[in-house]
Formats: sequence, structure tokens, C-alpha cells
Amino acid sequence: MTAGRPATDPTRRDALGLMAASTALALAGCDGPDEFGQPLWSRGRGAPDAASYATVLELDGLGRGVLVHTRAGHAVKVEGNPDHPASLGATDVFAEAAVLSLHDPERSRRVRAGGRPRPEAELEAALAAARETLRATGGQGLRLLTGPVSSPTLRRLIGQVLAAFPGAAWHRHAPLAEDAALDGALAAFGRPVAVVPDLARARAVLCLGADPLGAGPAQIRLARDWSEGRAAGRAAGALPWLCVAGATPGLTAARADRRLALPPAEVTRLARAVATALSVPGLAATAAHPEAGAIAARLRAAGPDALVLAGPGAGPEAHALAHATNAALGSAARRLVPSPLGGEGLDSERLGSERLGGEGKAGESLRDLVSSMAAGTVSHLLVLDADPVGEAPAALGFAAALDRVPFSLHLGPRLDATALAATWHAPLRHPLESWGDSLAFDGTPALCQPATVPLVASARDAAQVLLALLGHSEPEGGPKAGTARAAVRATWAGRWNLPADSAEFAARWEAALERGVAGEAPPALEPTPRPGWDTLRDPPPTDGLVAAFVPDPAVRAGEWAHNAWLRELPQPLTGLAWGNAALLAPATAAALGLRAGDEVMLALEDRRVPAPVLPLPGHAEGVVTLPLGGGRRVGEVAAAGRGFDAGLLRPADGAALAAGLTLHPTGRRAAPPLAPTARGQEEAPRLLAPGGSLAPPPRDASLLPDWPYPGPAWAMAIDLDACIGCNACVLACQAENNVPVVGPAAVAAGRAMHWLRIDRDVLGPAGGPEAAGRDPPATQFRPVPCMHCEQAPCEPACPVNATVHDSEGLNVMVHARCIGTRTCANACPYGVRRFNWEDHRRAVAGALRNPEVSLRPRGVMEKCTYCSHRIAAARAGAAAGDGPAGPARTACQSACPTRAIVFGDLADPDGPVARARRDGRHFLPLGQLGTRPRTSYLARMEGTAPAPPADGAPG
Amino acid sequence: MTQIFSRHADSRLRLAAGLGLAAVAFLAVSGFFVARSGAAWQVGVPARQPIPFSHAVHAGQLGLDCRLCHAGVERQAAAGMPTAETCLGCHRQVWNVAAQFAPLRSALALDTPVAWASVSRLPDHVRFHHGAHMAASVPCETCHGQVRTMPQTVRAETLSMQWCLDCHRDPDPRRRPAGAVLARGGVPGDTPPEPLTGLGARRFAHFGVEISALTRCSTCHR
Repeated sequence: MTAGRPATDPTRRDALGLMAASTALALAGCDGPDEFGQPLWSRGRGAPDAASYATVLELDGLGRGVLVHTRAGHAVKVEGNPDHPASLGATDVFAEAAVLSLHDPERSRRVRAGGRPRPEAELEAALAAARETLRATGGQGLRLLTGPVSSPTLRRLIGQVLAAFPGAAWHRHAPLAEDAALDGALAAFGRPVAVVPDLARARAVLCLGADPLGAGPAQIRLARDWSEGRAAGRAAGALPWLCVAGATPGLTAARADRRLALPPAEVTRLARAVATALSVPGLAATAAHPEAGAIAARLRAAGPDALVLAGPGAGPEAHALAHATNAALGSAARRLVPSPLGGEGLDSERLGSERLGGEGKAGESLRDLVSSMAAGTVSHLLVLDADPVGEAPAALGFAAALDRVPFSLHLGPRLDATALAATWHAPLRHPLESWGDSLAFDGTPALCQPATVPLVASARDAAQVLLALLGHSEPEGGPKAGTARAAVRATWAGRWNLPADSAEFAARWEAALERGVAGEAPPALEPTPRPGWDTLRDPPPTDGLVAAFVPDPAVRAGEWAHNAWLRELPQPLTGLAWGNAALLAPATAAALGLRAGDEVMLALEDRRVPAPVLPLPGHAEGVVTLPLGGGRRVGEVAAAGRGFDAGLLRPADGAALAAGLTLHPTGRRAAPPLAPTARGQEEAPRLLAPGGSLAPPPRDASLLPDWPYPGPAWAMAIDLDACIGCNACVLACQAENNVPVVGPAAVAAGRAMHWLRIDRDVLGPAGGPEAAGRDPPATQFRPVPCMHCEQAPCEPACPVNATVHDSEGLNVMVHARCIGTRTCANACPYGVRRFNWEDHRRAVAGALRNPEVSLRPRGVMEKCTYCSHRIAAARAGAAAGDGPAGPARTACQSACPTRAIVFGDLADPDGPVARARRDGRHFLPLGQLGTRPRTSYLARMEGTAPAPPADGAPG
Repeated sequence: MTQIFSRHADSRLRLAAGLGLAAVAFLAVSGFFVARSGAAWQVGVPARQPIPFSHAVHAGQLGLDCRLCHAGVERQAAAGMPTAETCLGCHRQVWNVAAQFAPLRSALALDTPVAWASVSRLPDHVRFHHGAHMAASVPCETCHGQVRTMPQTVRAETLSMQWCLDCHRDPDPRRRPAGAVLARGGVPGDTPPEPLTGLGARRFAHFGVEISALTRCSTCHR
């Protein structure tokens, strides 16, 4: 960044640099100056021309199975693994964005000491010296700090380190860990459990500060289950009932039948009132709430298909109440499993639970570590894939305590704050380059295998560092070859009880690598609430504001802050891109005279930070939502200085909720870029009551002659009743079609290039019989790709015939002919055409680029092609006899967790699109214009079966 | 009052205007032909390769099959280029010239691809599938020329869009029976080609113009 420019305003050029994901490998083979990318190499050794590898990508330490598509040995696209229970073939935004992180040109590439590059051999020598020192002292002063770890191999190696060094201890840095859930489970059952909801079965769900459809390691699976449950409900004429009570509206609230905007203390009161109304055994106190009777009646009517879910927006008491209520209802719509982040592989009785801080509450674990560091009892600290200096609450004082540690080694993918503060830094391999293993949210294990050659030569795995600490001799072939793979094989040889050199193990290992799943989920636990479980008490309501620290939809707790795709993605519900804002209720904002983009000084105790505000409909009054992960002080262009850092306010114990927040307008404006989404003509959202249907669209008369379609007629149908607005389709499209990143200034000017956008329609009081007057409005998400109109207004508008109709109904764009008049964009009523205001080709070219899709120069129009290269590949594959199995699938369709998007041949009467068009919910967007769009929608349904009579204690 | 213009001024002006127009016309006509000439499309210009390789020796004298090195040609979009293993598989035994094969040895040792240069490169916005053309019985020589006679590999045709369309509009004369696609030295058309499956059936009228699926924009462009 140029000196003298404020850190919050990098230029477009900086932003373009983020996309310049060109590695030395990619540059090596370019053989012509006329076209970027597309080097013509031989294949690498053993790398087929185009292959897919099953592997696993982690989010918050929990795995989601993916298939990585490679071209000429480069990982270019991530798709879901249909065999993995946390994916079922779909992806989320973080899985899609992983390839950009892999090719990030700002990845850490050198071993460093004190921030300065050093030879690798010096680090090896320093590690060997540290090992000798620790051997002599029994590991006194050795501390391991990791993120959340579900990997059986890493857990095994951590256990070995703790056994070899009796003075060592393991701590965990997990800013998004749900410590309240752990407390609630301990109170209810006396042991930690993880809840695996079955939303396909649930008929009545109460979410207490929970957002099961929102971003998270289980999002893909839960969204799929929810959509299946809803599809079954539509077929049966009785939709499942979903109620969300919480402070911050999320994706679940947007789809809920009842939305109760309540501060955390009220959520707890509602939980207790519902439990009272249901006469849950063991309640130590009762409570009342005006909504509790109706909710309890719904839950009681659903019986075993009822489910109460508590989430990060609720306190420990609400979690315990949710467990007890589920047990009292006999809920079969959830399974309790051992937590994948705790318990297994580490013998706490032998090692001592006080040394296994990584198993317990993350906040306490990190606080214990910092106090020992500050006391000077920590001599060696290993930070494995975590950024505590950047992400831990500033009040904890991690950076100052780190200065007192004589030897600290940070292993991480980027030069983040911890990398610069630690005495040693070594680059970490990206998961797509590594061997490893992981557990899904339900405990299903999977193996992680490299899908590409290592792009950073000096990078290593966490397992390699732990093995070096243990003094294991390196296998033949260099210090890094095969070390992690051998460690993973050893783990699984142990788990499968087979010798690692047996043929049986080899067969099982190959099968696990190919399928992407290494075993079954553990059996469900059947704990019963222990007597006297109701001991926890959440803090009572306070007069001031409550601060809710939540994961940011784009950057989580900050670990994705470097990723330009995620930064530029308009966040669901808020539409924010390239920044964050303090979210609050419109009424709270009005009381303080604040508008969107006004800057306020947030203060919690003696900590203060300025931040822009954004009033959000459906937000609870008395609560301010502060997304974590903004305002990085060091790091890449995409990360540094974007938004405000809520970590500066967070209490030292890492609590998700903190009372006593104050908020003073500063009088300044600090508008974060809001991505304009309403680009096309407005159209009133259509909603259907159960069993209702829309009139079939009239066949309009047109003066233009009809096109003949002798072959297939490609069309798409998008089910708005299934769409949850998760943005996976937008990023899948961006990754598949080489869509460039344009930067915050261009986004604010309405020049974002996403071919597929998601429009948000706020549904008014007419949204449903129960919504009138009481609940905040629901939100409908509407993905808008090109409509591929049969009578496309853009085609006659083009003066040079650069947008033409093909015989299969595709509205195709001839980039080489386009002269950039933009008349087509003016003519398009749907606003789906994008203009290249700048030349982004160099930024997009490189190893990341999908070679199947051409790069567009400056001054031409581009838009959704229905993934015509995938159609062509399916056709060519059919002609050559061994193409991709089955019909062509678009990138957005493959990514969608709820299978809301179907694509196929309209002329096939039994095809998925023709079937969707016969549905009573089908409508053509802006059908009255006579454009005959090939993309059409199925209307959302609102309302459920009539409520059973309220019972229990009405408020 | 004296004359400002001489009595020849008018004829000089006419002559200059005429010559100017003729020059413009000449430039336009010559530009039209230059742009269509082989030289403008680098026909016959060899590319700099990492190692000196002769198709004349390998394909001509030794008679190696194209598919030995270009293995993807029947199935994939890209025909593929030989890996270092392919080359050294033979050259460990025969003609083992250390200096020439240094790039191959380093590629093998470092596990990197060999950076071959292409002479038949299509622009980025063109989608070309070797397998589809092989399946349609288009012989290699139609596009790549008599490669077996080339000591240095050069481009044989312009590969311009006009040239592509010439064949796509009337493919039958250039096709061969299915078994002779990879044969060398055959004259296209010396055996009667089978009619392209369904091509006649797929012609349709659009604004009175006959357009086949092969000349549709999206068939080749992306």
C-alpha cells in the first residue's frame, strides 16, 4: 500500500493485486504473449489432465468433504463430496473460496525469525536445540496452542508430546467456540455432548439464539435436511414450523414462521417459560413469557418430531433448558454424539485434565495460558495454525505476554500478527496441499489428501512440527517428504487395528481416500438429564446495551480476512461487502438519531473502538451485534484495515455476550460499501399459502417470430421456497467462470462483476397469517442469473450482433465482437449484464484460472452463460464416449446446499425443469414483459398448519 | 489582380486526390490479402522448444504413432504433450545425449512439467475438442499438415476463423473413413466418407438462412 494513504482505503489496483494468484509454477510455462494463462505443458508426473480428488476442508476445526477438480495438476474448483455426510455433494462459501486462499500470492513463503527471512536449516537447528533443552527439564515451560482440533492424527501427536514431556500442556485458541454450550451440556448431562439436529424429521423447531441454516461447519448438511423436510411438508400439505428467538437476525430467521427479536436475557426467560409450560421435570424455577404458551403447544403437538436448539446467541442456562426440554419431549429429531473436538485420542486420566486445556472451554484455556506466559513460566510456545495476537480479545494482553516467552514458534499460512510477534515463523501448508484427517460435525472421519503439488516449498504441516519436537527421524527423501502421510497412516492403522504394511490396510486406505470418508459416525449417546441439572443462571437483564460478538459472515473470526472473494461477496441480510458494521435495531438507532453509516464510539468498560452502524430490521432492541474479524492491523491488502475490530472490545474471557456497552455518536460518517443488489426492474414477491397455486403464465403474443429449437432447450428453475440465501452459488459461479474481484470502490459504484446475484425481498406483514403486526419482516432470497430469454431484449439492442441466440436457447455473448456500447445492459429488464470497466485478465490468469472459460478484456459485456462449457463438455464427453457421467450441471446447481436450482432440457417432458414448470408454484420473472425467460422460479410458501390451542401458563 | 492558383492547380489537385484514393484502395486491398496470408498467421514459423525435437525423425523415419506422445487426442479436448518420463523412457536406452536432455532430467527430478511451446495455438475464446474431431473422422493432417516431414514443427494452416468455417460449412470432403483418421499420407477424399451423422437432419431455417449446428457461435466459442 502506498504510504500516506489511509489504511482503510486501498485502491482498486491493490484489490486487483489480490487476485493475481500467479505462482512461479504458473509463470514458468507461458509461451505466448498474446493470451494470458493457458500454458501448454506436459502433465506433471502422475497428474492426469483433469482429475478430481476427494479430500476434506475444515471450518472451525470440523471437516466438510469435498471433491477438488484439478486441471493439469492445479486445483481450480472445489465441489461437494456426495458421500460425505457434512456435504452431500454441496458446498458453502468457505469451501468454494479455499482455492483462492491456496493460490493467494501473499501467502507466507519463508521461514522467519523476528519477522526477517531465515534459512530453513536455522529453524531445524533451533527446534533441535529446543528439544534437547526440554528433554533435560521434562518439558517444563512447553506449551502447545492450537485452533479447534478434530484431527485424530494431530490429537494422537499432541498426546504423544504431552506424554513425552510431562511438564507440557496443550491450550486452545477458538474465538468462535461455544463455551456456553459446553457449560449447558455439563449441567444437563454431566458430560460434553454435541447436538446433531435432524431437520429433515423435525416438524416443530424452536431456535434459541441458534442459526442452524447460517454459516458454520454443519450448515450444508442442516440446510439440506431442512429443505428435504420442507419438501416433504409441501407434498403433505403441512409445512414444518420454525420459530427463531434471538437478538441478531440470521439466515434461519429469514425462513422462520415466527421471528421473535429478543435480547439474550429474554431468550433465556422464553426458554424457561416454554419448559415450564411443557412441565419439564427438574425445573428449579419457573418463568412466564407471552409467547411461551403457543410455542409449547406447537412443540407438544409435534411430540418426538419437536426440537429445541440453543445456539451461540443464548447463555448456558438456555442451553441446559434446551437439553432438558428435548429430553422431556422425547425428541427424536436430534442425536447427541461425543463432541468431535474433545475426548477422543487423548487419555485425560493418564495425562491429567489440567494439561488438556484444549479440550475444555476455549476462553478459560487461553486465559490460563496468558497468565502463565505473563508470569514467565512458559519457555517454549508452539502456536499451530492460530492467530491469537490478531484474534484473541485485546483485553487479554496476549501480545504483551508473548514478549516474555523466550522461544515461540508460529506455524501459519500467512504473515499475520502472531507470525510477526513470535520469535520464529514457519509457513503452513494449505489443506489442499497436505495430508491429514478430520472429523465432521457428527463425528464422521475423513482423510485429507493433497490435490495439488505444494505451491510453497518451505511450508510444512502441523504434524511435521510435532514429530520434529518428538525427535522422530525423518524418513528418506528429504525432511518433509512423506512425514505427514506416514503419521496419518499410522493413526489409521491404529484405529482400524491393522498393520500398516498389510494388504488389508492398503485396500481400506485406498478406499477411504477415493470415497473421501474413512468410517462411520460414532453411535448416538443416550444421556438423561441428571437430577438437579437446573443450576445455571444466565445474567439478568440489564439497563444498558448488550454486546453480542458474532462470527462475521465473510471472515468468521478473522481467519478468512485475506480472501478477496469472501470480502467482495455481499453479505446476506445486510448487503455489506468489504467491511463490517455494528448492527442494531432500527428503533434503537432511531432513538439515538443514527442512520446507516453513521460512526459511533463503542465503549465497554474502559475499552473503546469507533465503528459504523447499520440498523437491521428484525434485530432485537437493547442489543448491538459486533461481527468479529474486522480491522486487521497487519496482513494482506484484503484484510488490513477493513472495518472495525470487535476484538478490541471483547472481554478477556472471550464471552460471546457482554452487558454494559455504551454507544456515542461521533458525528462522522463511515459508510461501509453496501453492494447495490436491486439492479433489475422491481417485481413484487409472490408468496403462496399451503396448497395454493399461481395462474399459469399467459403465452404472450409477440411480433417477433418464434425460434425453432430442434435440439435440447436449456432452462433453469430456482425454488425460492428452498433458497436460504447462503451465497454458495454466487461464489461457485465466481470460481468456475473466472469472475474478477473489483475492489471496494468499484463495488460501491455498482460495478461488482458477480454473474449471479442474490436479491433480497423484504416480505411485509402480508407474509403470513401469524406475521401481521407482531413479528419483524421475513426476507426472501432470490438468486438472479441470466434469464436466457427466448425473446431477449438485449439481442436486437446490440449494434454489432455481439449477443446472439443459439439453437439450444442460450443467449450467448461474443466477447470478441463486443464494442462496449452497453445498450444490451440498458435493455435488460433483469439487470444481469456486467461490464468490464477495467482489464482484469492479468489478475485472473494463473494457476487458479479455470482454463475452460475465456478471460474477458476491458470494455466488453459479460454475463451468465448457463455454464456453456459444462454443456459442451457433457456433449463432447457423450460424443467421445467417456465424458462426465450424466447431464450437464451448472456450477451454481452443484454448489446449492438445498438443491434449490435445477437445470436441464426443457424439451424433455420428464426432465427436472419441465417437472418444475408444471408445479403450481411456477412463475416467470417479469413474465408480463413477454421476454419468455428460460430461468424461472417456484414461489415461496408461507404459513403452516393452524396452531393448536395454547397450553401451559400463558404470559 | 494576379492569379493565386496556376492554370495546372486544378489538374494537380485531381491527380493528388486520385493517387491518394488509389493508395488507400491499394492499402486496403493489400491489407485484406496480407491479413489472410500465411505469414500474418505465422504459418511456417517454428517455435523455440526446450529441447531440439524433430517430428521428421520420430514420426517420419521411425514411424512412431502420434498417440505415443499426444495421448489425449482421441478422448480429451487437449491432445496432450509428452512428459519427461515419456521421452526418457526410450532415451535412457537410445541416443542418450546428456546436454540435450537436461531440461527433461530437471523436470523429472523437480517433478515439474516440461514447458513445451505450441505452434497450433487457438485463441482463448475458442473451444476445441480433439476427441470430438477424431470422432467425426477428421484426420490429423487436415489441420496439422505433413508433420512427419517437419524437422522443426511449424504451423501448416492459418487456423483463422475463416479457415475453421470453411470446413465446418462443408466438412465431408475433408473427412476420412473412421479407420484411416490417424493414417499418414492419405489424400482426403480418396475414399468416400460416410455422411456425418444427423448433420443433414440438423439443418434448419432461421430467417430464411440455412445454418447448421456446426456453424453456431456457441459450438466453438466460449
